[in-house]
Amino acid sequence: MVQVFFYIMAFITLASALVVAAGKNLVRSLFMFFVTLFGLAGLYVLALADFVAVTQIVVYVGGILVLILFAFMLSGKEALNRVSAQSEGFMSLKNAPALLLTGLFLVIMFNVVFKAQADKLPWVQVAASNKNIMPVNGTGINHIGVNLMTRYLLPFEVISILLMLALVGAAHLSRKPKEDEV
Amino acid sequence: MSLYLTYFIVAAGLFAFVAVFTMFGVYAERKVSAFIQHRLGPTETGKYGTLQVLADMLKMAQKEIIIPAAADKILFLAAPVIIFIGVYLGFVALPWGPGLVPANINIGLYYVFAIISIETLGILMAGWGSNNKYSILGAMRSAAQIISYEIPAGFAIIAVVMIAQTLNLQEIAMQQGVLSAERIKFLGLWDVTHTGGLLSWNVFKAPHLLIAFVIYFIASLAESNRAPFDIPEAESELVAGFHTEFTGLQFALVFLAEYSMMFLVSMIGVVLFLGAWNTPLPNLGGVKLADWTTGPLWGILWILFKSLGLVGVQMWIRWTLPRLRVDQLMNLCWKVLTPLAFLCMLISGIWRLWVM
Repeated sequence: MVQVFFYIMAFITLASALVVAAGKNLVRSLFMFFVTLFGLAGLYVLALADFVAVTQIVVYVGGILVLILFAFMLSGKEALNRVSAQSEGFMSLKNAPALLLTGLFLVIMFNVVFKAQADKLPWVQVAASNKNIMPVNGTGINHIGVNLMTRYLLPFEVISILLMLALVGAAHLSRKPKEDEV
Repeated sequence: MSLYLTYFIVAAGLFAFVAVFTMFGVYAERKVSAFIQHRLGPTETGKYGTLQVLADMLKMAQKEIIIPAAADKILFLAAPVIIFIGVYLGFVALPWGPGLVPANINIGLYYVFAIISIETLGILMAGWGSNNKYSILGAMRSAAQIISYEIPAGFAIIAVVMIAQTLNLQEIAMQQGVLSAERIKFLGLWDVTHTGGLLSWNVFKAPHLLIAFVIYFIASLAESNRAPFDIPEAESELVAGFHTEFTGLQFALVFLAEYSMMFLVSMIGVVLFLGAWNTPLPNLGGVKLADWTTGPLWGILWILFKSLGLVGVQMWIRWTLPRLRVDQLMNLCWKVLTPLAFLCMLISGIWRLWVM
């Protein structure tokens, strides 16, 4: 059952991602991206990471995707048409750096998948033999909370400071200059 | 396999409920508005105009689905469906009574909060797909408003979660009545674990949650695009906002989504703040009113009453207050509600640590 769902979800994710990448209509691509994100959230659920799945929807669908759409709608149709008119052949010289990068990344991914042997990682086996594992009983979120506030407090705070900086920067950029400064 | 069958039945039942609620909601809204504005409302169709909604539905079902020539067909057709599904999925995690919850999700509240945000996407889709200035302006206003008001709503909800210590909506409900496993103190002073009733609701358990509830309620009005926050569909400037171009069944779906959203946010408010499916009647000595009126059927009755009460308040507010301007709307959200919500969250932490 789980496997069937996994393949369905994986198919949805990959197919919609392909449509996003290949689609000519940018706005439709964006809405398709929403399907991709949902497929990913489904995959997270199947991996028993329900919290990550819901966070994915909150952050990406509810936040980032809507903001991207917002930017799109503010930029107007003419700008969008210019962007979509730019696309040419798949194998043009302009695309060469991108192709190279994605190719290399693909090689790295394959290497990681085949070399790592995720089924028999030593630390996973040690943890399993020591019974140092978390049962799937819906307390995952409690563990996340406790760990964020104890073991991973420093990274958590550093990220929050980074976000704070971004906020302050955005507020500064969007502020109108005072009269005497102009 | 029978388990999956139950899921389908529950889903169909929820859909039926939402549809019936919308029918009664529309009728009630027309009668309430008429009462507030000193009119009669619908009177001709059936006794007291009771068949008006049915007539409207028949009219809508007959209408041709018109797709504007310049519209993006796929987006235009998909938008109302997505708007409705976003709201409908939210009902999955909401508890109706002790042991009665469609899906007992351990992060139910977070899930509902997440799934509601799909509605924004649907609205943007509708706005863009219609290819109409009014629609797109309405959609953008709506998205801006929903994103902004998610923040005070979120912090008001966090204030509750800090008191309840769980995201499971059924557990939050359980903690507010006689079935609670932990001790409940009215205003943090008086032990009412076995008295239950009104006294053990979250708003009375920790009085600052009353402020959080008001914040949540205001924000929920904005999230369901209801007056006084209905600038996305301000008819005097935007015709009808994001649903200008929709006709017939598509318009019916948008309408269904709006009314389901009203009920959904009211129900979340009831679950979080007003004792969920718990009875308002306390145990008084030998008269065990709370024990007698707690149960699955009573639960459905109570949560229905409370939610409908909140929906009634929403309607009352809609026909009483004038619409807010955009700058007033944003000022209210960012300068009043958000700091207040932060304050509530802070008090919640202190309350949990030292009072409870």
